[in-house]
Amino acid sequence: MSSDANKAVLVSHLLVQFGEFKAVNDISFSVDKGEIFGFLGANGAGKTTSIRVICGLLKPTAGEVSVGGEVFKGNGDNLKKKVGYMSQKFTLYDDLTVAENLEFTASLRKLDQDYFEERKKYLLDFIQFEYSEKSFVRDLSGGIKQQVALVASLLHDPEVIFLDEPTAGVTPVSRALFWSLIQKLADHGKTVFVTSHYMDEVEHCHRIALMRGGEIIALDTPKGLKSSQFPYGIYQLTAKAEDITDIEKALQRSSEVESFQPHGIHYHLAPKKDNSWEKISPLILPRFTAKKIRPSLEDVFIKLVEGKNR
Amino acid sequence: MTFFKWSRTFAISRKEFFHIFRDPFTLGMAFVLPLLVVVIFGYAMEFNQNNVEVSFLDLDRSQSSRSLLEKMSSSNYFRLKQVRSPEEGMKSVKSDNSKAFIYVPPNFDKNIRSDVSEKIQVLIDGTDSAAAGVIQRYLIQITNNMSIEVHSNSRVSSTPFVSRYLFNPELNSKWFSIPGIMVVIMAILCTLLTSLTIAREWEKGSMELLLSTPVKPLEIILGKLFPYATLNIISVVTVYILARLWFDLPFRGSHIVFLFACFIFLAGYLALGLAISVILRQQLTAMQAAMIIGLLPTNLLSGFIFPVENMPQGFQWLASIFPVRWFMIVTRDQFLKGSSLVQLSFPIIAMGVASVILVSIAVVKFKGDLD
Repeated sequence: MSSDANKAVLVSHLLVQFGEFKAVNDISFSVDKGEIFGFLGANGAGKTTSIRVICGLLKPTAGEVSVGGEVFKGNGDNLKKKVGYMSQKFTLYDDLTVAENLEFTASLRKLDQDYFEERKKYLLDFIQFEYSEKSFVRDLSGGIKQQVALVASLLHDPEVIFLDEPTAGVTPVSRALFWSLIQKLADHGKTVFVTSHYMDEVEHCHRIALMRGGEIIALDTPKGLKSSQFPYGIYQLTAKAEDITDIEKALQRSSEVESFQPHGIHYHLAPKKDNSWEKISPLILPRFTAKKIRPSLEDVFIKLVEGKNR
Repeated sequence: MTFFKWSRTFAISRKEFFHIFRDPFTLGMAFVLPLLVVVIFGYAMEFNQNNVEVSFLDLDRSQSSRSLLEKMSSSNYFRLKQVRSPEEGMKSVKSDNSKAFIYVPPNFDKNIRSDVSEKIQVLIDGTDSAAAGVIQRYLIQITNNMSIEVHSNSRVSSTPFVSRYLFNPELNSKWFSIPGIMVVIMAILCTLLTSLTIAREWEKGSMELLLSTPVKPLEIILGKLFPYATLNIISVVTVYILARLWFDLPFRGSHIVFLFACFIFLAGYLALGLAISVILRQQLTAMQAAMIIGLLPTNLLSGFIFPVENMPQGFQWLASIFPVRWFMIVTRDQFLKGSSLVQLSFPIIAMGVASVILVSIAVVKFKGDLD
């Protein structure tokens, strides 16, 4: 583990309470410099509330938060200098040009004119922006808009960038392009904090925190999460006949089965113990074709966040 | 800690100007609506009666009756139509062709010359009470003049009232209504346009982005006030020019006093719109609320149409809450009377207090939302 000086984000015993309701209940974690950190959870899990605190938008009820060495104090303005924020809900003002949007953000952050011009040029090169700065944002495609919004959130050279579902509603090609930008940012030593609903995207994260009910229920690398949640792999089962109600119930009740969930047109079965598959396969194979697969993050997410048998 | 910065306020204003000047709806509201409203109201809200058809039946056919009718037809107010019987006269009023029917009895001339009081019967269409009142007033004016003339020829000298209307000698209703329209337009524009601006930022999610920067609530509120204040001043000037050049209104007050009052009023009503926007957070509901809150008191409780002094006491108190009631007094005064700042101090202070309260509500509520 690296020392605290290398931590971009430090959260310890963070508590956020709205009246009686604990939106965030005593969470602690840290994020390294240059790390891509994924933040997952169902709606209402406390994801957004945590991010609002770390961005300096919301005062914590208790606990400590520091970003880039700055500890949350007063109204959180000192954190706002260290973080950039971009949300899927809003990217840029449509009726302003690219240049006007960027100038607006720069003047709200009181950036020096020369510094702003230099950053703007650097960042537009970074995203390989090939349109005129004078083009209206409404004329750009969703993917390009997203990239320009990223530029806006990076103008003040923040240490940590928060991307709240940054690629919702853009084409797969644009998403891939956007993620290559995120990767590049991390390579430059920026810390990237991402929330997303696309599990395939989240695979790009170095580490992932899963939230449920205001608590972090798992925090690991994608690989670590998969192997800790599914130590004996997953079997993808395809039913040979339509009616499998009887065996479905038997499998769900079996002490050898960790989970048995429908997954698209298939079923995913996770064995409970090392030798479980040998024990139950005679029961399964006459009814299903089976294939051992590597668990995906989606399996992890379903098991931890939405799974009922936990 | 960072504190209030003008540079951030101007950044917000600048952005808002871009929004305004690129949005045909906002621009249309600011420039076309006032012109349209002034022209429509200027012509439609006509209390003066000109060229009203009046039926008459003259059974006297004397010098006096002829001179009375001649006076009427030469007054421009009336267009006379002779009928042959009382029934025909009634019919013409009923069928809505004539607004009144005048019946001159036989022996009218003889009786007034011998100082016997004589009555002319006048039947006025009362369906429109305002118009009926005006017609009656004209008729009384004409008959008064007539009796003065008759009596000045005779032995008896009388001392009738000689009245003259001050400030608006011809009782031109446009002179009364157009300054009122100006106030109504300002009130509506202010509340309507600003009611959208904060709600728009919430709705589009850009508020969150604004808040992730060090910008302060006061900077957002003030930054949004400036462009709309400018817009409203421009529309006030437009209406002013139209009123002076097109409708020939006088302006007897001081432009500085009037502009000063305008600024106080604008601040209050812009803040009212912002407060609505801050509280409701949705453009559609905010706009509807602004329509109701901006329009109703402005039309009904400001004295624009119905004099506040004639309302029941409770309504007078209610009306006094709205800055528009006081601004109505100031505006009409500045156009027609021209009182000094000292003479107008009460309405201006009352308006100022209301405006300060409204600005405070907007800022405090907005701050509370963000913490």
